[in-house]
Amino acid sequence: MRGPISAPTITLRRPQLYMLPTRYGLWFTAILGAILLAAVNYNNGLAYMFTFLLGAMAVVSMLYTHRNVSRLRLTPGPCAPVFAGETASAGVWLHNDSDKPRYAVSVIHAHREVARVDLAPHAKVRVDIPIKTTQRGWLPATRFYVTSRFPLGLLFTWSREMGLPLRGVVYPSPGPPRPFTLTPDRRRYQEVGHQTEGDDFAGLRDYRRGDSPRHVHWKAVARGQGMYTKEFSGAGQDTLWLDWDALPELATEARLAQLCRWAIDAEREELRFGLNLPGVALPADRGERHRHQCLKALALYGLEARASEAAMG
Amino acid sequence: MAFRFPKTKEPHPDQGAFYLLLLTVTPVLAPHVGRVPAWLSLAVATFIVWRYLITRHGWHAPPMWLRTGLTFLIAFGVVTHYGTILGRDAGVGLLFALLGLKFLELRRVRDHVVVLLMCYLLILGQLLYSQSLASGGYMVALTLLTTAAMVRLQHPGRIDGWQGLRFAGGLIAKALPLMLIVYLFFPRLQGGLWAFTADTAGATGFSDVLRPGSINQLVENDAVAFRVRFDGAVPPPEQRYWRGLTLATTDGKVWRRGVDVAQGWRLSGAGPALGYTVTLEPNHRVWLFTLDLPIEVDPPATPRTGYVIQRAKPVHERTRYRAVSITRYNTGPLAADARAHNLHLPGAVSPRVASLAARWQSAARTPQDIVQSALGYFREQEFYYTLQPPLLGRDPVDEFLFDTRRGFCEHYASAFATLMRAAGVPSRVVLGYQGGELNPAGDYMIVRQADAHAWAEVWLAGQGWRRVDPTGAVAPERIEHGIDGVRRLLRRGVRLGDGDARRIELGWLEQAWRQARLSWDLVNHNWNQAVMAFGPEAQEALMRVLGFRAPSWVHLAIVMAFAALLMGLLVAGLVLYQPRARDPVRALYARYCAKLARIGLRRNPAEGPRDFAQRAVAARPNLSDQVERITEIYIGLRYGGDDAGRLRELRENVRAFRPS
Repeated sequence: MRGPISAPTITLRRPQLYMLPTRYGLWFTAILGAILLAAVNYNNGLAYMFTFLLGAMAVVSMLYTHRNVSRLRLTPGPCAPVFAGETASAGVWLHNDSDKPRYAVSVIHAHREVARVDLAPHAKVRVDIPIKTTQRGWLPATRFYVTSRFPLGLLFTWSREMGLPLRGVVYPSPGPPRPFTLTPDRRRYQEVGHQTEGDDFAGLRDYRRGDSPRHVHWKAVARGQGMYTKEFSGAGQDTLWLDWDALPELATEARLAQLCRWAIDAEREELRFGLNLPGVALPADRGERHRHQCLKALALYGLEARASEAAMG
Repeated sequence: MAFRFPKTKEPHPDQGAFYLLLLTVTPVLAPHVGRVPAWLSLAVATFIVWRYLITRHGWHAPPMWLRTGLTFLIAFGVVTHYGTILGRDAGVGLLFALLGLKFLELRRVRDHVVVLLMCYLLILGQLLYSQSLASGGYMVALTLLTTAAMVRLQHPGRIDGWQGLRFAGGLIAKALPLMLIVYLFFPRLQGGLWAFTADTAGATGFSDVLRPGSINQLVENDAVAFRVRFDGAVPPPEQRYWRGLTLATTDGKVWRRGVDVAQGWRLSGAGPALGYTVTLEPNHRVWLFTLDLPIEVDPPATPRTGYVIQRAKPVHERTRYRAVSITRYNTGPLAADARAHNLHLPGAVSPRVASLAARWQSAARTPQDIVQSALGYFREQEFYYTLQPPLLGRDPVDEFLFDTRRGFCEHYASAFATLMRAAGVPSRVVLGYQGGELNPAGDYMIVRQADAHAWAEVWLAGQGWRRVDPTGAVAPERIEHGIDGVRRLLRRGVRLGDGDARRIELGWLEQAWRQARLSWDLVNHNWNQAVMAFGPEAQEALMRVLGFRAPSWVHLAIVMAFAALLMGLLVAGLVLYQPRARDPVRALYARYCAKLARIGLRRNPAEGPRDFAQRAVAARPNLSDQVERITEIYIGLRYGGDDAGRLRELRENVRAFRPS
C-alpha cells in the first residue's frame, strides 16, 4: 500500500479506491458455484438463469459499492486544542457532492471504525476522530481511510490512507503548580486585590468572550444596551509577565510546561498577563482568546517553521 | 505493508431484520413442504415458531446440548429417509432441515447471512422441480425478497424493509440485461454430469404395465403430457391416437411389454405423411409418443417391437423431437413366432369367456367378423363407460364382461384383446394418449395426462395390424370429444353411448375459462421454448443467425465475454454516471475565490468564508464592500436554504467582481 494521500481537500477516485470480497462474498461465490453445478447437471434452463441473475447482481453490487465512496470529498474540520497527553478530536468533513445518497460509509482510524455515516445528496457530515496526543505542536495529520460494504455486504471497498492537514494545536502538558517567578527587571506584577478599587477607569470596550464577569458593565446590560467590558489603566493594573528567562534552571520542554501551567493559572485568577519567549512576545491581555494565543505560542515554540511547511504541503 | 481488515463491530441484527428474514424464509420453504417427509416439515415449522416466540415474547433459546441433539437426530432422520445425501430430493430435504435448525439459533449477523444464503439454495431447489413460468416468477420474487433482507441486514436502523426492497429491485433490474447475455451465450453441455437415480423414484408417469385400474390416477391429472405442432393440417379427432407402447404378454390379468427387440419396419400404404414436432414433458420413461403409425423420428431413437420408439435414456427433462407418421397403413404379414406370441393366453380363460369367444369364432367367416361381433357385443349389451369403475377380483376379464360391465378404456381394451386371443385373432393392447386440445392462438395441440388411453390392435390377414378401440363402441364421445367432453357429460348425468351429444355444448363461463386456460398455456409454451428447450441446438441456431458458420463453444464463450463486457460497461455507466452539474452556489463561490486567488489571496481550505473575507478586506480594504456582500449572500444561501432570488444576486455580484 502506498503512503497516505496528503492534500488540503481530497476527492476519492478510482486510483485511490480498492475492493475485495468479504467473507460473506466468498461464501456467496461458493453458493453460486453450487447453483451453476446443479444447473449444468440437471440441464435446467431456469437454474442457469438463476445462477446468472445472482452473478450479475453481485457484479452490479460491485458498481454500487464503488459508487458509494467514489467522489466522496473530504476536508478538514474544526479541531479544538488540547493539552499533550489528552485525546484530541480531529474533525473531518465528508461531503457528498452527488445526487445520490451514500450509505454506511465507515471512517477508520488506527484499524478501528470511528464512525459509520449516511450522506444525503449534497450533504456533509462531520466525523470526529479521536487522536491520542503525546507531544506539543501542531496535531499531526490524522491518518484515516474510509470503507463501505454497501449494499449487500459481499464486497468491501476501502480508500488509500489519507492525512488531512488539520489546524489543531496541542498545548504543552502543563507543569506542576508553582508560584509565579518574576524576573527582577520586569517587576511589574503586584499582589492581587487592588485590581478594582484603586485603578483608574479607562473606558468601555465591546465585550469579548472570556472577559471576567467582574469587569462587565452590568448597568449597561440591565439597560439593554449590550455587553461592555470596563477597561482600567494605571499603575494599579495587575499585569503578569510570564517570562522565559524566569526559569533558567529548566530545560526547554519543562520550561514551556511551566509557562503553560502559569498561563492557565493566571487566566483562572483573571490576571492580565503577557508572554515573553525568545523571539515571541505577546502583549499583556486577559481572556480566553488571549490564553489560547499564549498557549499556542508555547505549543509551537521552535516548531513554527516546520509547521508552516506542513501546512503548505 | 499488507492491508489489514479494520475491526468493525457488526451490529446485532435488530427485530426488523428478524421479521424480514421470517417473511423471506416462509415462502422459500413453502413449496418444499409437500416434498420433504411430514415429520421434517413439522419439526422445521416448530423451530420457526419457537424462534419467533423468542424474539416476540422473550422465550428461552434452546440450550446448546438440545440444538446439537436435534441436529444429529434430524440429520440421521433425513439420511435414513432418503438413503443418500446426494441428488435433488435428498439435497432439498437436507437443506430444508438445516435451514430450520439454523433459524432456531439465529443470533448474529453471520447466522442471518447463512440463512439467507441457504434461502438462495432452496430457491434453486424449487427450480429443479419446476421450470414453469410460475417458477420463474417465484424465482425473481424470492430473490428480490432474500436480497432485500440482505441489504436490510447490513444497515440496521438505517434502511428499512421497503428501502431494502427498492435497492434489491434496482440491483435486479440492472442485473437482468447482463443475465440475459450470459444466459444466451454461456456454452451449454449436452446432458448432465451425474445422474442421481434416486431422484426418479416415485415420479408419476406412464406405466409399462396394464392392470385394470392403474390409469385411474392419470384420468384425474390435468398436467400437460406433451404439445404438438403440426407442419400442415391437424388430423381429425378420430385419428388422434398417440402411440406410446404395446403390451403383448398377458397372464389373463395383467398385460406387460413382453418380447421387446430393436426392429425397424417398413410400411406400405397409401396414407399421406404427416410431419409434426412434439415437446414432451419429462415423464421419466423411455417411450416417445407418436401419431399412429410413425415412420421417422428425429433425433433418431430406437424403433422396437410393436412400432414403438424407445429413447436411450429416460426423459428427465423437456424434450423435443420431430416425427413423421402415416395414418393409413398396412403393416404386412406377421411372422410365425410373433403370431404365436400375440395369440398366447396362458392359464384357462373362464368358461363363460371361452364360450363367448367360441360362439363368435364359429359364426364368423373372416377374423374381421369376430372383431365386429365383439364390438357389437360391447355396443349392445349393458356396458357403461365410467371413470369410477368397481374393483375387479381374481378374474378381471370374466367379472368385467359378465358382472360389473362398468369401466373405462383399459377395461375395454384388455377385455377385448383377451377375447380376440381366445377367438384365435392375434391381438395386443396399445398404451398412449387419445385426443388433444387445439390451442388456436398458438397453433399447436396440447395433450394432457388426462388424455391417457388404452386401445387394442388386431392382426388381420391382408391388412396387417389394425387399430380397434372398443371404448369407442361403448362411448363414441370419448373419441369424438375427448376425456374433457366425457367428464363434462358425466357430470351432467348423461349416459354415454346414447348419442345425446348436444348436451356437450359449453356454457359461456366454461367457454371463457377454456379460453383463459388456452391463453395461459400459450404463454407457458413460449416460456418453455425459451427457457427449457433452450440448449446447445438453440444456441447453435442463434450463432448461425449472428453469422457464425460452424459455431463451437469457444465462439460462444468469446461472444459471451464481449457482449457481457459491453453490457457491463453500459450498466457501469448507468450506475456511476454523475452529471457534472455541481451545486451552483458552491460553483459561484469557487469562482469568487479564484478571482481573489489571482490577486494573491488564496483561501485556506480550513478557512471559513467569513474569516477569509476578513483577511481579504484587511489586505485590500478597497474591495471590502464587494467581498462582504458576496460573503453575506453566500453564507445566507449555504446555511439558510435555497432562494432563487438570492442565487441570482450572488451570480451578478460574482460576475461583477473584478479585483485588481
